[in-house]
Amino acid sequence: MSGRQREQPLRGRLTGLALIAPALVLLGAIYLWPMLGLGRMAFNETGSTGAMAPALSLATFRSLFEDPFTLETTWNSVWLSFVATLLALVLAYPLALFLHRTQSRFRSLLTVLAVAPMLVSGVVRVFGWLALLGDRGLINAALMGSGLTAQPTRLVYNYFGVTLGLAESLMPYMILALLAGFGRLDRACEEAAATLGAPPWRVFLRVTLPLTVPAIVLGFLLCFVLAMSAYITPKLLGGGRVFLLATEIFDHAITNANWPAAAALALYTLVLVLLLVAAYAALTRRAEA
Amino acid sequence: MREGAGPWLGAAAALVYVVLLAPVAVVVFIAFSADSFIVFPPSGYSLRWFQRLWAHEALMRGLSLSLMLAGIVTIGSLAIGVPAAYAIARAKVPAAGALKAFFLAPLLLPTLVLGLALLMALQPLRLTATLTGLALGHMVMTVPFVIRLMVTTFATLPDEVEAAAASLGATPWRVFRRVTLPLAIPGLAASAFLSFLLSFDETVISLFISGPRASTLPVEMVRYVEGRTDPLVAALSVVLIVATLFVILVVERIAGLARVVGR
Amino acid sequence: MEQPLAARNHQCALTRRMSHLTLNRLSKRYGETVAVADVSLSVARGESVALLGPSGCGKTTTLRMIAGLIQPSAGAIEVLGVDVTQVPAHRRNMGYVFQSYALFPHMSVAANVGFGLDERGVGRSERDRRVAAALSQVRLEGLSARKPRELSGGQQQRVALARALVIEPDVLLLDESLSNLDARLRDAMRLEIRDLQRSLGITTLFVTHDQTEALTLCDRIAVMHAGRVEQIADPVTIYERPASRFVAEFVGRSVVLPVERSEAGLVLGGRPVRTAHPVPESRALELFLRPQRIALAGPETEAGAHNRLGGVVRSHVFVGDRLEVLVDTQAGRVTVETSGAGAVAQPGDAVSLIWSPSDTLVFARAAP
Repeated sequence: MSGRQREQPLRGRLTGLALIAPALVLLGAIYLWPMLGLGRMAFNETGSTGAMAPALSLATFRSLFEDPFTLETTWNSVWLSFVATLLALVLAYPLALFLHRTQSRFRSLLTVLAVAPMLVSGVVRVFGWLALLGDRGLINAALMGSGLTAQPTRLVYNYFGVTLGLAESLMPYMILALLAGFGRLDRACEEAAATLGAPPWRVFLRVTLPLTVPAIVLGFLLCFVLAMSAYITPKLLGGGRVFLLATEIFDHAITNANWPAAAALALYTLVLVLLLVAAYAALTRRAEA
Repeated sequence: MREGAGPWLGAAAALVYVVLLAPVAVVVFIAFSADSFIVFPPSGYSLRWFQRLWAHEALMRGLSLSLMLAGIVTIGSLAIGVPAAYAIARAKVPAAGALKAFFLAPLLLPTLVLGLALLMALQPLRLTATLTGLALGHMVMTVPFVIRLMVTTFATLPDEVEAAAASLGATPWRVFRRVTLPLAIPGLAASAFLSFLLSFDETVISLFISGPRASTLPVEMVRYVEGRTDPLVAALSVVLIVATLFVILVVERIAGLARVVGR
Repeated sequence: MEQPLAARNHQCALTRRMSHLTLNRLSKRYGETVAVADVSLSVARGESVALLGPSGCGKTTTLRMIAGLIQPSAGAIEVLGVDVTQVPAHRRNMGYVFQSYALFPHMSVAANVGFGLDERGVGRSERDRRVAAALSQVRLEGLSARKPRELSGGQQQRVALARALVIEPDVLLLDESLSNLDARLRDAMRLEIRDLQRSLGITTLFVTHDQTEALTLCDRIAVMHAGRVEQIADPVTIYERPASRFVAEFVGRSVVLPVERSEAGLVLGGRPVRTAHPVPESRALELFLRPQRIALAGPETEAGAHNRLGGVVRSHVFVGDRLEVLVDTQAGRVTVETSGAGAVAQPGDAVSLIWSPSDTLVFARAAP
């Protein structure tokens, strides 16, 4: 009996390691190793012929930072992600508040409906936006049919279309983040504010909004990161006329087959997102204090 | 008793639902158009794009590859992820917290970066545009996902149940098979469903490591939509949406969808 | 209870003359369910009234309708003769103390109390002065910079009270405000609220399921049951002369015995029994007594004009401040409460139970 007891922890540990080993090996091979490779690749050089030359230099980064186009793309990416995230927030907030408050017996069905687009392929939804916003799409058909415009309005293959499509693709994530954070929102507090003389809009500004700030911060952060790295939506709705970090990384890697440049730009994007997230977190922390 | 959401909030929510669901709704509508291109209103309605779909070789090849790939990825992810999650949540593995952090790390990285890294790692091994390469690529996403979901599932199982079974004389293997596994069924169903869907819909990683030899359905769809916008892709979308709805209903029966999506 | 009855009668007359808050056949339905049915009530200026009843009787719904948080399905609410039924909550000037206190967690104590003054456009220095005054009223000076989560339950309760009082509301509404406090704190707060209410002379409506709270705090009690008001009266009347079987059972302890009707009158355990109160028409009747209104006497004691029932002592139960004597009688088991002082009949002794016809209440038996 005592012998078995002494033996147990060791056997338990070995079993545990045996259970975990396949996952360790697999993720080591398909995650850790490739990511290390990506980091190494950024320090290789590209010859004048376009062929890659193994090296350990900062030449790729240098040319990346010397190119004014990098700054322009960075600005495009940050600004577009910011606007799309803001749009997603403004749209998702009332819907999440509605789902939080409703007494409807269809509440769980309505919640599923709000996040259901997540389960539909992104390509399908982008195609839907093309059908809505295209020159011969639903909106232009309605505009011209009602005589408001004579020519189709350019709604897609530009920054506007990408922002709209991106915002819609972020909304389910935003709704989930907001709903999770709305648990803190006590309806009695809003009612108390009303009995103290605050009209509905003042109740919203002074009680509802401040109490949901943590949820907003979290949702905004999550969606901004997703927006910065989104590729399919800008690619298809941008139609080659919208230049973002994500589209540039892909073009470097596939179209130009310039791996060091793609790797350097990818690392640059990662660091940029990390810095922006850290700055945002620091700002909100100071605002709360 | 409290009053509900109020008419103004209800109206705002309805408007947002329109924006949220418009792209999917318009796709379903377009699929039944009789025209050769997208036009509103369509000159007529027909099922001809659904018939054309079966004849489109590239899309059909992509579909069968994606289905096979998703199946392989699902089985592989469960086979590798579930034991690891069990070890982290239930067995006393050293440094369980650090291991979990390592396993979940890929979920924090953009798929764009993961795809690029995979391209650079798999190309020299001649694994790009192969079933093996694509399956490995997708598992970067699905294995961490399964581990996250199953760690939660195993951690929320009541501690005493396994101990009780063991005290009744069941061997560890029988405890796992007769007690732990049945209790984990909803989590397993959710993991399988989401692994399959994640792999089937995965686009960015596939774009990096697909090629003419092996190209998944989302990659073929991106190529098609880049080239032209006719109702063919809409018809395909309807087929996919209906299939997804069907799977959702099945999973809802087993696990409860709100829980699956919420986690 | 310390007020003489004459003063109460005077107050009732006052109520009829000048009502401060009037509910006129107020009702609330949720689909098929009726939460509140035809509640009518008038409250005089400075009066405090309790809505007493078990959970789900509609008392909180009534309070929320008065505050404007719920729209009534029918009926009207008047404040000083002005119909406010359609006035939104934020223009009603009601001080509402929530069961959970509903303090704003992101604001300091001072900001919580000052909230209503901000909404009324009160200037900064005036606001600060009134906030300080309100906080000293509830003895919370020096805590104005704290956040609600840094306060104890009793302190949170005081902040909620100060927040509701500082706006000088027409009516103060308290929703189960003491139920989240432990027993000792509850007793202390009860006295404090009563003193504050009396000294400010503020018209107050309490919602409570705790009869002690209702009996000690209020000038009048409205006992509610299944959405209806069963009886409105001062505490003494509610206790001594309950108007219905429900009120008698809900407020205070009672002895319930089956009683029969004969040609000569009522019969209890084979003996005639008298009551000074009307007897309902129903065939099946029950007799209600307060245990402390029954006197224990020797087996052969003459009752005179009083009612008498013979029995045998079964056991004693000592409950600290009183002694409960269980007596088996022809009519059933009866609990008698005595102070426990003096000679007490021992188990097995034959005794008489004696009580006055004016303490004898008869109600129709509840449907089985």
